[in-house]
Amino acid sequence: MLFQNKVYHRRNLLIFYLLCFGAFLGLFVRLAYIMVCEGDYYSERATDLHERERSIKADRGLILDRNGKVLAGNKSVCTVSVVHSQISDPEEVIRVLCEHLDLSEEYVRKRVEKYSSMERIKSNVDIETGDRIRELKLDGVKVDEDYKRYYPYGSLASKVLGFTGSDNQGILGLEVKYDSYLKGEPGKILTVTDAKGLEVDGISERRIEPVSGSVLYTGLDINIQAYATQIAYQVMESKQADSVSIIVMNPQNGEIMAMVDVPEYDLNNPYALPEEPGSEELTAEQKQECLNRVWRNSCINDTYEPGSVFKIITAAAGLETGVVTCDSRFYCPGYIVVDDRKIRCHKTQGHGSEDFVLGTMNSCNPVFINVGLSLGIDRYYEYFEKFGLLKKTGVDLPGEAGTIMHKKDNMGNVELATVAFGQSFQITPMQMLTTAASLVNGGKRVTPHIGVKTVDQNSQETVLSDGEGERILSEETSETLRGILEQVVSEGTGKNGKVEGYLVGGKTATSQTLPRGSGRYIASFLGFAPADNPQVMAIAIVNNPKGVYYGGQVAAPVVRQLFENILPYMGIQEYNQ
Amino acid sequence: MATQKGKNRRREKNEYFFDYSLLFLLLFLLVFGMVMIYSASSYEAFQAYGDAAFYFKKQLVAVAVGLVGMVIASRIPQIWLRYVAYISYLVSALLILLVLTPLGVESHGARRWIGIPGTSFNLQPAEVAKISVILVCALLLSNIKGDVKKWKYWFGMMAVPLPLAAEIFFVTRNLSSAIIVVAIGWVMVFISSPTFLRYAVMVISAGAVAAVVIRMAVSSGGDGNFRFGRIVAWLNPEADSQGTGFQTVQGLYAIGSGGVWGKGLGESIQKLDFVPEAQNDMIFSIICEELGLFGGGAVMILFIMLLWRMMRIASNARDNFSALVVSGVMAHIAVQAVLNIAVVTNTIPNTGVSLPFISYGGSSVVFLLAEMGLVFGVAGKIVKREMN
Ligand SMILES: [Zn+2]
Repeated sequence: MLFQNKVYHRRNLLIFYLLCFGAFLGLFVRLAYIMVCEGDYYSERATDLHERERSIKADRGLILDRNGKVLAGNKSVCTVSVVHSQISDPEEVIRVLCEHLDLSEEYVRKRVEKYSSMERIKSNVDIETGDRIRELKLDGVKVDEDYKRYYPYGSLASKVLGFTGSDNQGILGLEVKYDSYLKGEPGKILTVTDAKGLEVDGISERRIEPVSGSVLYTGLDINIQAYATQIAYQVMESKQADSVSIIVMNPQNGEIMAMVDVPEYDLNNPYALPEEPGSEELTAEQKQECLNRVWRNSCINDTYEPGSVFKIITAAAGLETGVVTCDSRFYCPGYIVVDDRKIRCHKTQGHGSEDFVLGTMNSCNPVFINVGLSLGIDRYYEYFEKFGLLKKTGVDLPGEAGTIMHKKDNMGNVELATVAFGQSFQITPMQMLTTAASLVNGGKRVTPHIGVKTVDQNSQETVLSDGEGERILSEETSETLRGILEQVVSEGTGKNGKVEGYLVGGKTATSQTLPRGSGRYIASFLGFAPADNPQVMAIAIVNNPKGVYYGGQVAAPVVRQLFENILPYMGIQEYNQ
Repeated sequence: MATQKGKNRRREKNEYFFDYSLLFLLLFLLVFGMVMIYSASSYEAFQAYGDAAFYFKKQLVAVAVGLVGMVIASRIPQIWLRYVAYISYLVSALLILLVLTPLGVESHGARRWIGIPGTSFNLQPAEVAKISVILVCALLLSNIKGDVKKWKYWFGMMAVPLPLAAEIFFVTRNLSSAIIVVAIGWVMVFISSPTFLRYAVMVISAGAVAAVVIRMAVSSGGDGNFRFGRIVAWLNPEADSQGTGFQTVQGLYAIGSGGVWGKGLGESIQKLDFVPEAQNDMIFSIICEELGLFGGGAVMILFIMLLWRMMRIASNARDNFSALVVSGVMAHIAVQAVLNIAVVTNTIPNTGVSLPFISYGGSSVVFLLAEMGLVFGVAGKIVKREMN
């Protein structure tokens, strides 16, 4: 033996060696776990860190009216961002950006000092401001051009079109409904950068081309929209009404030509609050509530009690089943008793003896209560459902409200009587118009729609409107109904809706807003022309007019003015020509 | 006659042992290290100095000096080493203090180097301390032999590396080097001890202390004490990936994006300034990114083989002192390699340990090669037929 400790030396060396071996083995397992099991996670995070993604915005599709006028287009704007590691004078950058972009120092500082390869400061900066910032040539400040949604007609059709958010995503109206068509597919340029954000040469950049959004062709007619908006504002002002809604539709196919709900808002500045005293002190939540009210489209988002316009539905059901004919005789003493409840006619002294046509012209409540009672709850409910009133219309706008109707089991004769002349339930104006259109157009249920087709960048067309709707009323009944409604306008309560030279059919309504007794009324009129072959149908709803509030006096003239203007414009011939 | 006859026989049988496989493993590690230093540092070097090979060249000089030193060290007669042992201990104690003088060089927020006058090279005294602890412990342990199991001697031996470690920790604020110095000394004591119950007790109590410290760090939330902060960052590095956990997270990104076969030599992206000091303590993460699990595993196998050779040499050394010197060098390389890979894989809290022979760092490679010279010197005294 050369030295005496050799044996346990060797033993201990081996123990130490085996410990090291074990440690390496453990570390290898750990390494394998990181590289294989967690590898995807870490390499994804690493790629996020390395690749500076410069997004190439896709052009958002235009929204056009039926004549090809641009309702929603795109305008060049700038996006200002900072590259953290390239900034040489952060204080100067913060100062300049605060000043030019009108942002708080705190907001800018947070982004300038954030350790990231690229941080967006503000988008949708107008070209002039962007150019001014670019000319200052500050290190680490990038000004990139892109597009912003632009609405050439400002507030026109605002409730229909809706608007887009900062990332060009649809927020309301058609913009959100057809967002998937309009938005396209953004492209990307992916470049590998080092930790300072500098692009690394020699590593090829990846480029993914953007796909432009499809163009949306609508059935809207900007001229009709403009005119309807104008008269809506006129009547709102003259009657000091809260709001006025007008929808103009082609009753044959459900295409909507105009949808007005004044007051409208500026689509190019949708977040501006209406100037009211105290609006500066609102909390963020109150502001949002206020904006939601401003953006609300009461044509489809709100329901109302349709009142006498709904007698069209009762008449159609009555005529279709034969419980009533044009010649059926009625007597109105000014009221009618239903199960011990006395329901008044709007003419308290009574309409006396009248046939069904005259009863409709007079808008006599007892007549329609009688028709409803003759139909009975089961049959009335059946028609209510068959006419499509329990479902939504399916209009291509977001947030359509549903019908608020009695449950069939809860309906007694009193409820039936009130429903028969348009009270005690609620539907949207859109539903009222669509159902009336379906009843007078020959009896086919239409689906109201604004979008007609989309055309993508490869000229590929997608037709949006559904095919022909199901039959809900016979041709004959529809024709009879048109005749009666024509007489309502020519000689009855709707005579203010008469248009010289045209046969117009229609029905007026005056309904109380709920709760009853508040003294608030809704005056409405539904009209269509030509009465024998309806090409256009419009509903006008004046919400809470002051002074005279009868539909015949307030709303019928609105539709008359509208028709006087648009019938010749639409090329609809006068009957005597 | 007999001796003459014996000599002849030795000569015939290629008498002395030379460990070619150890030399091959060492050279392979050095060359591989140089390649990886160039790969990991060229981008940053070009950005900072306009010369992609800046770090590579400095390391090349250090390796050349180290190889010369290795050859010299392998030829030093053992008797000289015995004399020089105590002196080297005192010299390194003084060198560490020199860091506090104007000769001290500060880098990366730590004052751990002394400038060598007239050159652009710096010396890290902690590296000198490591070799001196190996020599002193080997000398003392070979003198007391089996008496080390007596408590008096045992405590005395265990205390030998402590003054230098304390100096390294308090003067240069370098916890990891202090730990390595202590570890080298203690491993050597362990290897020359007939008993081992007390080591098992030490390991268990060290584990208990570590558990308590981790609990304290976690409950403190990492505030106040930067070492506690590192422990918290170790447990959840991504929670503070821009702060304390930055280096760890970047290293993990590098390792994780390597996959089984890696991105290919030179293809690392994390070395583009993402991993701080990619050529230094974190070089193993770049190896993993470029060469994958395969490359990382290969490096580990190289170390395992290197340690195996050293164990064989220590086991067959002609005398106690030589065996202990080799054991010390083996302990040094083993502890440092394990700690480095454990840090890079976030298996233990982050502390600055370089990977022997591969990480950039002149002092480290020069003194490691000098230590390897001692190992070759011991190996050269082994009679080949006695090797088993
Ligand atoms: Zn009556």
